[in-house]
Amino acid sequence: MDKKFKNRVREQFGKAALAYVNTEHFSGGADLEEAARLLKPTPEDNMLDVACGGGHTAIFFAPMVRQVVASDLTMQMLKRAQEHLSERGGVDNVIFREADAEDLPFPAGSFTLLSCRIAPHHFPDVPRALREFHRVLRRGGRMVIIDTLLPEDPEIAEFYQTMEQMRDPTHIRAFSEAEWSEMINDSELILHETKIIPKLHDFQEWAKRSGLKRDEVQKLNRYFMDAPAKVHDYFKIESFAGEVESYTDQKLLIYATRKEKEKK
Amino acid sequence: MKLNETLLKVLACPKCKSSVSPQGTVIVCEHCQLAYPLRDGIPVMLIDETRCSKKI
Repeated sequence: MDKKFKNRVREQFGKAALAYVNTEHFSGGADLEEAARLLKPTPEDNMLDVACGGGHTAIFFAPMVRQVVASDLTMQMLKRAQEHLSERGGVDNVIFREADAEDLPFPAGSFTLLSCRIAPHHFPDVPRALREFHRVLRRGGRMVIIDTLLPEDPEIAEFYQTMEQMRDPTHIRAFSEAEWSEMINDSELILHETKIIPKLHDFQEWAKRSGLKRDEVQKLNRYFMDAPAKVHDYFKIESFAGEVESYTDQKLLIYATRKEKEKK
Repeated sequence: MKLNETLLKVLACPKCKSSVSPQGTVIVCEHCQLAYPLRDGIPVMLIDETRCSKKI
């Protein structure tokens, strides 16, 4: 990953670390329940949670598996997640590593489970990250990736890309289901199932979580309010007296595995 | 904070993917000799944060 960009990611998530750790937005939800249903975690599983952020996914899965290694590019985020975990108590099988998803510091075949939730849109090179996911998974290992789905309609997709970058300049891009499918196949993982799960966002909480200042939130609010009707319909934008209250985007959940047998 | 052997088993050099071992306050790649620091007990396994252990 480009060093300059990496530093921008660290700066962005370093300043927002506490907000990410404390938010209830990531600590549960239909996507995690669905991930658990597909991954079928067992007490024998060693899990890697890539780009763990506030550690919510790792904490969710920890009681179901032997160990979770939670990695992230931002040390500030890992420290906050570690503090949160020790204050919360009850979970002692999560360990933290500062790592780049595109250059993972783990031996080949280290994990039987892998998760990466709401993060690949920050990766400059998703195919490279997927090759790393494939490498660190054991043969037959199971993987779930969850990320925001890029809308099919080009105008809605453009609105989506712009609003995400207004909120967080380290947002690179989301992908369509077809693009994900191709990238998964290219990385020699086997795609088994995809599921689209709607996610409701409280606009103010969502905008402020990334550290936006008041005038930036207002600018983003105006961008939402001025969007065409089809954007309002797609994102189910709810507003009152010119203020956006909520919107709903679509999360794509991808369940894939590494092949049991591979050609040498 | 010292890292025990079990934890090091699930750790490799992010650059060459070889085994790593603790040397004082850093984690050193046994192949390329790059040294990775620890911050608050968390290994910083980033290629651009590393130094050659021979210079330490």
